[in-house]
Amino acid sequence: MTQTAPRRKLPLKERYSLLTRDLDWEPSYVTKEQLFPYTSYEGVKIHDWDGWEDPFRLTVDAYYKYQAEKDKRLYAVLDGFAQSQGHLGLADASYLNAIKLFIQGVTPLEYAAHRHFAYLARFLEGPAPRFAALCQSVDELRHCQTQIHTISNYNKYYGGFHSWSKMHDRVWYLSVPKSLFDDAMTAGPFEFLISISFSFEYLLTNLLFVPFMSGASFNGDMPTMSFGFSAQSDESRHMTLGLEAIKFLLEQDEGNVPIIQEWIDKWFWRAYRMSALVAGMMDYMLPKPVMSWKEAFELYFEDQMLGGLFPDLEFYGIRPPKHVQDAIAEKDKLSHEVYKILHNFSFAAAFTTQAPSESHMRWLSEQYPATFDQYYRPVWEKHHRIEAGGGRVFFQGLPQLCQICQIPMVFTEKDDPAKTSFRTSEFRGETFHTCSDGCQWIFEREPEKFVQAWLPVHQIYQGNCGGPSVPEVLEWYGIQDGDNGEYKGSPDQQSWVDWHSGDGEQGV
Amino acid sequence: MAVKALYSYDFPSADRAELFGDDQLVYVHWEGNPVFCSAACFRVPKAMAFAEFVETVVGPWAGSDPDFDPASVGDWRVNGQPLGAPGDAPLTELGIGHKALLQFTA
Repeated sequence: MTQTAPRRKLPLKERYSLLTRDLDWEPSYVTKEQLFPYTSYEGVKIHDWDGWEDPFRLTVDAYYKYQAEKDKRLYAVLDGFAQSQGHLGLADASYLNAIKLFIQGVTPLEYAAHRHFAYLARFLEGPAPRFAALCQSVDELRHCQTQIHTISNYNKYYGGFHSWSKMHDRVWYLSVPKSLFDDAMTAGPFEFLISISFSFEYLLTNLLFVPFMSGASFNGDMPTMSFGFSAQSDESRHMTLGLEAIKFLLEQDEGNVPIIQEWIDKWFWRAYRMSALVAGMMDYMLPKPVMSWKEAFELYFEDQMLGGLFPDLEFYGIRPPKHVQDAIAEKDKLSHEVYKILHNFSFAAAFTTQAPSESHMRWLSEQYPATFDQYYRPVWEKHHRIEAGGGRVFFQGLPQLCQICQIPMVFTEKDDPAKTSFRTSEFRGETFHTCSDGCQWIFEREPEKFVQAWLPVHQIYQGNCGGPSVPEVLEWYGIQDGDNGEYKGSPDQQSWVDWHSGDGEQGV
Repeated sequence: MAVKALYSYDFPSADRAELFGDDQLVYVHWEGNPVFCSAACFRVPKAMAFAEFVETVVGPWAGSDPDFDPASVGDWRVNGQPLGAPGDAPLTELGIGHKALLQFTA
């Protein structure tokens, strides 16, 4: 019997090189410019695409094997949770309002990111960044799918989980995340990398995702916590891609530095403004709060990014984002101002809200000693008085929106929490309103782009959203009776009480 | 700074006045009342009399605060400028144009 020597297995580095960079080729019957038409018009200069360092050196086979194992673990948790009626172990049914906001607002962004990284995987000139974009594109699709599968379990028992994809395209508060991604996807490939990979995934990802995942774990939501873990190793890869992208672009040409700086200035503010929804969620929507927005902002942004990352970037001539001091100045106000919107308008949302209870207000006072008792407690106490008399204040009309972030114009001047901040710009004879110096600066930098903003309120008034009355608009949104309004007395709360008193039949 | 694009970048505004015909959008902000998170946006006829606007548009909106007293409404400003005594004049004659911001105290 002849014995064959085992085939030599290539070292990882060599395999990676053969399977990624060596699969690149020089075009012969088209020019490089025809093959890669989008990598020059933004003004960014790349002299050597091979200067891109690949921090992970993954190959496709290793990548799929690793992801498949993570999927198996996640789906085992989901099955166990569904079979054991795990939803009854949540802290309270009102917790799920945070998860409704997640599937309506965040999950569609995963899909949008998948689409745009697939585009980068085709159109970036270097094979290494193309491959990194390909992996991220597949990651984002997987995140979208695992989130749908995880969260759809709740759709059997609770309102607000159906039609999330349609809602993302149509509903007013969801135009906040949607318009941010639309803005990024309609920019060039390098601006997209700085917007999503750097400003969103690197600067703010911990602020955006950790609160949801810790909130899930504190409030008994094992499935959401599990998909958080399953996505976490991908997220750290994405953060590394964001950092590699910015360092690569900065090292390639000195002329890139001012272009990148403006994108950091713009995209920090856009991503930060969107994170205001997370701030409201953290401080008001979790029955068992994890940490306050302010504490998370100080830890994940001020300490880690301003204290850790930006001193490193100074070497390249990059300074902290232009309006970063305005964000810091808002940290005692942001969540209160934003949750007020959700409370005012939840009759037109696919989740419910409630005024914070006495014990929750005590927690808020402790977290926000400088502002809560002076500015926000008296207003919530007024809501309590109105509700004790059988009322409930909803905003009888539509709000004024910011042209850039599309959030109702609730933000206040940085030195006065009682004075609403209005900024106005004129362009081609028309007036445009923005909520802050940051949003006004973004508008005035590219007014031709932002005059096209699809502002939900103005679209309703133009007759483009199902009709002029609230019921017609809600129907067009896909919002059903009971998805919306006040939490107390809602179908979700009633079922919850019935199930826990042993009266209710589940899942019918 | 112009938008960087591969083609001539020129698109109309999504909310330009002509799309609203004889109507226009007006924003109303009740200053210093935190029960309402933000200013409201209304679509109203350009020719609507100011007094009618206050009674039929602003009143029902502000009235969802049970402490609202229509008699105390005053100190009107348009885009930051005092409005004087507007009375029955139509909105446009008072300088209240498309997407104007009106503020009052009560």
